[in-house]
Amino acid sequence: MDEEIPVDVGLIYEGERIRKSNMYVDLAGPKSKGAELLLVVPKDEVEDGKVEVIGPDVDEMEEGGRYPLGIFVKVAGDKLEEDLEGVFERKLHYFCNYIQGFMHLNSRDIIWCRISKDSAKKGLKLYHVGKALIKLYKTEFDVIEKIQITFYTDDKAVDEHIARAREVYEKRDARASALKDEDVDVFYSCLLCQSFAPTHVCAITPSRSGGCGAVTWFEGRAAVKVDPNGPITEIPKGEVIDPIKGEFSGINEFVKEKSNGAIERVYLHSIFDYPHTSCGCFEAIAFYIPEVDGIGIVHRDFQGVTPFGIPFSTMAGQVGGGVQSQGFLGISIAYLRSPKFLQADGGWNRIVWMPSQLKERVREAIPEEMYEKIATELEASDLESLKDWLKQKQHPVLERLDEEAEEEAAEEETREQEAQPVATLPELTLPAQGMPIAGAPTEFTITFKNAKIYAEKVIIRRKG
Amino acid sequence: MIIAVSGKGGTGKTVIASLLVRSLAERNAYNILAIDSDPDSNLPEALGVSVERTIGDIREDLLEKRDNLPPGVSWRSQLEYEAMRAIVETQAFDLLSMGRPEGPGCYCAANHVLREIIDTFAKNYDYVVIDTEAGLEHLSRRTTQNVDVMLVVTDTSRRGITTAARIKELAEELKIKFKHIYVVINRATAETKERLEEYAREIGLEVIGVVPEDENVRRYDHEGKPLVELPPDTPALKAVREIAEKIVR
Repeated sequence: MDEEIPVDVGLIYEGERIRKSNMYVDLAGPKSKGAELLLVVPKDEVEDGKVEVIGPDVDEMEEGGRYPLGIFVKVAGDKLEEDLEGVFERKLHYFCNYIQGFMHLNSRDIIWCRISKDSAKKGLKLYHVGKALIKLYKTEFDVIEKIQITFYTDDKAVDEHIARAREVYEKRDARASALKDEDVDVFYSCLLCQSFAPTHVCAITPSRSGGCGAVTWFEGRAAVKVDPNGPITEIPKGEVIDPIKGEFSGINEFVKEKSNGAIERVYLHSIFDYPHTSCGCFEAIAFYIPEVDGIGIVHRDFQGVTPFGIPFSTMAGQVGGGVQSQGFLGISIAYLRSPKFLQADGGWNRIVWMPSQLKERVREAIPEEMYEKIATELEASDLESLKDWLKQKQHPVLERLDEEAEEEAAEEETREQEAQPVATLPELTLPAQGMPIAGAPTEFTITFKNAKIYAEKVIIRRKG
Repeated sequence: MIIAVSGKGGTGKTVIASLLVRSLAERNAYNILAIDSDPDSNLPEALGVSVERTIGDIREDLLEKRDNLPPGVSWRSQLEYEAMRAIVETQAFDLLSMGRPEGPGCYCAANHVLREIIDTFAKNYDYVVIDTEAGLEHLSRRTTQNVDVMLVVTDTSRRGITTAARIKELAEELKIKFKHIYVVINRATAETKERLEEYAREIGLEVIGVVPEDENVRRYDHEGKPLVELPPDTPALKAVREIAEKIVR
């Protein structure tokens, strides 16, 4: 690629791992320290093409030795914005690995690099790594007009670099944590669970991570870059249909296509009407408790029973498999920390029960005034004790419950008179073709024994 | 090249796997990775190394920590780093231990990524020797599915050979792709050897080698001494060396 660089540079070296017995030096890593940082700076602060090494370069290092390593990249260009720093910085991992005999793992202040004996013998130095990186950055990103790279291997210089880098990471993370569904144009989808939940299409947005907790929006973005044809792909956001419920035309279309038409609409932030499908590997379940008009949450590690008298495992068996279950939703623990957590249903104000261990784990996400009002298995093991607890704590669901009780009482009176079956049949068989039962075979029949049919209205039409 | 050594517990599968690693390492020409994929085996001890962290440990750690990882940190990269860290590196070979099987949580995404990571690692070695259990589940779920040579170790019982045939069927069912599958008869005596070879042939299995009963192996095993330190001319090692030669060729 360049006469200056004594080794090959190219995609074929990606995935190269250097064994200890083939290694010339070990840089940063678990037994040393290091960090990488890329900053967008004004043009006059970059000396384009310059590579500096503060501390010993490879030719001054002892064979088999271990050294700390700092990598500091400064880029400038008219179209560059601070937001791109993270994306460009992530590229260091890939570009470094293009260099023959140079291994680079992970990111930020947990990097680990090695230089192979073979490449060191050919004369590869950090200086050359810098030169190669500059070329790669400029080739891939036209917007980078100027770029300069500094390596630190001197102990004190590395410490200073790590401290500076950590400050930047913190600022970036604070910005990223504040990212919401409305701040991005693209969402991600993961189809990994379709092997056992064929109609499950996981929609991943900044405010909703996958049910398994493994795939966040950021993880999705990274995964698509690594493997564009993998199980994780982009979903264009489309139109916002309902910002509170979290309904987007892009998600609806994508889900309909990938579930083969089984699922047509999805609300991201509600467990009612069109809740997100549940895979089977969710970390927790949000479940509606009609008796108190509230929502309970139970997580996989909880061994006891919910106020319904059933444990997580039984509930999970009923909820999973890629169907939309009214009033039930498989969720990740991280979703409990989302600012949009079940916002269409009242968010934390609607939560009435969760295991104590889980409550403690997400403590900082629960609004202070609600923390004491949410019962755990220690206070409520069944519906009766739950009702008592909620009354005692003046839980906000009580207000809703009172209103509903009045309405229902009125309804009940009228209903009683009408409660006569319009037909009573010893056996009734229905063909179920076209019935929207997800996951069921396409042709089958349903047989009701001793069926009593109730209807609001019966219409009888003469044929022809 | 990826060589999987499987077989029922008690057949001496780990003995064969460790001697195979040693036979390949003796040539001083290869990068070798040993993968301990059987939670009930003791490949690290047989190879004379100790393991601090297993892939299982890493996965459990991640499941606990990941919902608190900063958004700018990818757990995929984190896993890769931790997996590299878990490799025990010696002059002659490297060793990766898969650790205990999964708990009740969801491991789909983590396993998917781990398989990619281990596949990438494996490509960096001339020979990968996997000690896997007879059920082959770890092999299909957690490590690479493309095995070049599958060695099924059996004892000298007729049932042992039948089991070997079942493992072959199982591997086919689990869609583990392998180019060759061979039987290794372990702890054989002169009189059992021929009869067993013939029986194996009858049910369509190819025997790549017969490893004799070896007093040294028994003694080292009993005393807990690493098998890689066996005297170079001990009969079992000589037999495995021949198997290694056939595979390398």
